Amino acid sequence: MGCSSSLPDRSTGRLGGLNNSESGGVADAKNLRVKLVLLGDSGVGKSCIVLRFVRGQFDPTSKVTIGASFLSQTIALQDSTTIKFEIWDTAGQERYAALAPLYYRGAAVAVIVYDITSPETFNKAQYWVKELQKHGSPDIVMALVGNKADLHEKREVPTQDGIEYAEKNGMFFIETSAKTADNINQLFEEIAKRLPRPSST
Amino acid sequence: MSSSDSNSSSVDDHNPNPKPLDYQFETLNLEQGSGSTIIQNDVDEEGRQQDQGSSLNGSLNVNSNNHEQDDGIGLVRGVVLRRTNSEVEVDVNGPSSPSSSGYAGERGSSGVSEDDEIEEVANDSALHEVFDSQAAWLPGKRHVDEDDASISWRKRKKHFFILSHSGKPIYSRYGDEHKLAGFSATLQAIISFVENGGDRVKLVRAGKHQVVFLVKGPIYLVCISCTEQPYESLRGELELIYGQMILILTKSVNRCFEKNPKFDMTPLLGGTDVVFSSLIHSFSWNPATFLHAYTCLPLAYGTRQAAGAILHDVADSGVLFAILMCKHKVVSLVGAQKASLHPDDMLLLSNFIMSSESFRTSESFSPICLPRYNPMAFLYAYVRYLDVDTYLMLLTTSSDAFYHLKDCRIRIEMVLLKSNVLSEVQRSMLDGGMHVEDLPADPLSRPRSASPHFGEHQEPTDSPRRFREPFAGIGGPAGLWHFIYRSIYLEQYISSEFSAPINSPQQQKRLYRAYQKLYTSMHDKGNGAHKTQFRRDENYVLLCWVTPDFELYATFDPLADKGLAIKTCNRVCQWVKDVENEIFLLGASPFSW
Repeated sequence: MGCSSSLPDRSTGRLGGLNNSESGGVADAKNLRVKLVLLGDSGVGKSCIVLRFVRGQFDPTSKVTIGASFLSQTIALQDSTTIKFEIWDTAGQERYAALAPLYYRGAAVAVIVYDITSPETFNKAQYWVKELQKHGSPDIVMALVGNKADLHEKREVPTQDGIEYAEKNGMFFIETSAKTADNINQLFEEIAKRLPRPSST
Repeated sequence: MSSSDSNSSSVDDHNPNPKPLDYQFETLNLEQGSGSTIIQNDVDEEGRQQDQGSSLNGSLNVNSNNHEQDDGIGLVRGVVLRRTNSEVEVDVNGPSSPSSSGYAGERGSSGVSEDDEIEEVANDSALHEVFDSQAAWLPGKRHVDEDDASISWRKRKKHFFILSHSGKPIYSRYGDEHKLAGFSATLQAIISFVENGGDRVKLVRAGKHQVVFLVKGPIYLVCISCTEQPYESLRGELELIYGQMILILTKSVNRCFEKNPKFDMTPLLGGTDVVFSSLIHSFSWNPATFLHAYTCLPLAYGTRQAAGAILHDVADSGVLFAILMCKHKVVSLVGAQKASLHPDDMLLLSNFIMSSESFRTSESFSPICLPRYNPMAFLYAYVRYLDVDTYLMLLTTSSDAFYHLKDCRIRIEMVLLKSNVLSEVQRSMLDGGMHVEDLPADPLSRPRSASPHFGEHQEPTDSPRRFREPFAGIGGPAGLWHFIYRSIYLEQYISSEFSAPINSPQQQKRLYRAYQKLYTSMHDKGNGAHKTQFRRDENYVLLCWVTPDFELYATFDPLADKGLAIKTCNRVCQWVKDVENEIFLLGASPFSW
């Protein structure tokens, strides 16, 4: 990454930190709290996915995320458990890359997003997968998301490529459109199903 | 001396130094004529003036035209290199020799009105009259399709460039950076040519254009302007642009150039065009950019105290700075012990927050650097909008403080809602601050309490806010149109609201430019600082008064009577003093070092 030296050194800094110490990710067996981080190149639609999921909105004007935004949303599953997602929507800009550990350290879920119309962003997604395999929690749940699925006439990353890459890396794969809301809720519901449950039962 | 005395201007002040303005002018013998610019110097400065013909009581400079020296210098043909110590001033002139780099000197070019203050191409001016107001200003970079071959690009009145010492473009106000690589390399060549001679280029004049250079290690900043702003203020603007870059990246970006001199910095600034364009826009409407002071939202004393108290609580719990702002105005701010915040850092920080739309959608936690506080290190900023214009910033050195800061914000927000601070803030935004029409009558003849106060619930029928004198005409008494009062000790200023006849953004921008010029001439170290200045031209009378405690810049009708104008300035100072509890952040300020 171009200029990590302009940013705090990740090996010396104690970047462990954005975990809610009181929760540790789990409240009780029926009410889970989960730290989720979104990663991916700038402009792939991370913020749009989050805003569609949390607020049901879509804003076509691009608003560059600075640092990271924090949002939360609770969903109820059929087995009457609730899951509160505490979502870190990170900035995709290169200058924030070295700060990413600050946001993904301790995350139970990582959603890695690319834009199906841009192979570059698919490469960037693979970079993030490797980064998380090296430095993320060992039991992190990872999802690979091909966003902007509504722009299928401009598609440049075949669905099959996404599926294969995800399979190879033990990830869950889905294509979404924040614009049409297609598969957005499904994404989070699927993640919820894959979460390790506390073994109280 | 208590803090409340420090702004005073009246005779009975403890500090004998700033006498009422009348006294200072009484000793002067003045020639006035409409259309002439008169620069008046205070008596004290007489001895330091060197190149003046006049030896009257006061020193007196009369320029027969309203333009600055540009025209005179422009008559010299060819290239003149002036070196004084390590300063180089280059005068390039010649109507028939547009530079090979494509940046034409414009002198003698036909069809474009160069005197128009509107920055855009002149034939767009009618359009911009409508759209280019502060409210209607659209963020983001425009004219990206242009490059140095475009005629429209060359005609822009004010360019800003950031480039690397190897000549790689980093930022350009207009046009696409990558297409400007050749132009960028030309600028770099000029800088390194002079540097190779063991010197440093600061300014090149080419006809009406000034090219101002600022070298910051491996980063070069250049402004090309035909706005007639003084060199010092253009340089100050470049300093702020550099500071804005440091706020985003820290100064340790220099290390990338140590490793690789040809390092391309543009990806690191990805998505920040809007931050820079918003800062450059603020050069034409925000006096903080040249006053190096911040301004507060007028509020009742108790309201601001309530906000300060809760911010103080959180500052004790590991927050370095807690700042509550409404647009570019401070509601309250608290720093941890011994931490002080420079007004320029506040300007750059609030510009960064306000120009980045993503802060409005949710709470954020982002690394930022305060260049005046510590240019080498990131702080972490928790940012949350409490309503559409009001936002809270909690700055910390700890990268894992997010949840703590989130809790702090929840507490702060609850207190602010309970104590009605947020609704008072919104009301103050609607009411505005000081209006020149409200200037109280002679303060000595009325009890102090009669001054109009801010942020208090007032029935519209009784206790009228306005003490208008029978006065025919527009503006305030004696033709007062506008004023800015800057408290030196507090590093704060208050600017009166704009009213007729200075209504349009163009007129406001022109007035700020005039203030800028005045500010520069009052702080000119070479000539020895002036203490008072009275200028009359076809647009206004400008009156400036500088004391160790404050600076006052006032604008009057061009036909205003001088004696009355001076009296009015004393009344303005008294008015400011009367309401200082409401317009300034006083007391336990982080500025008491």
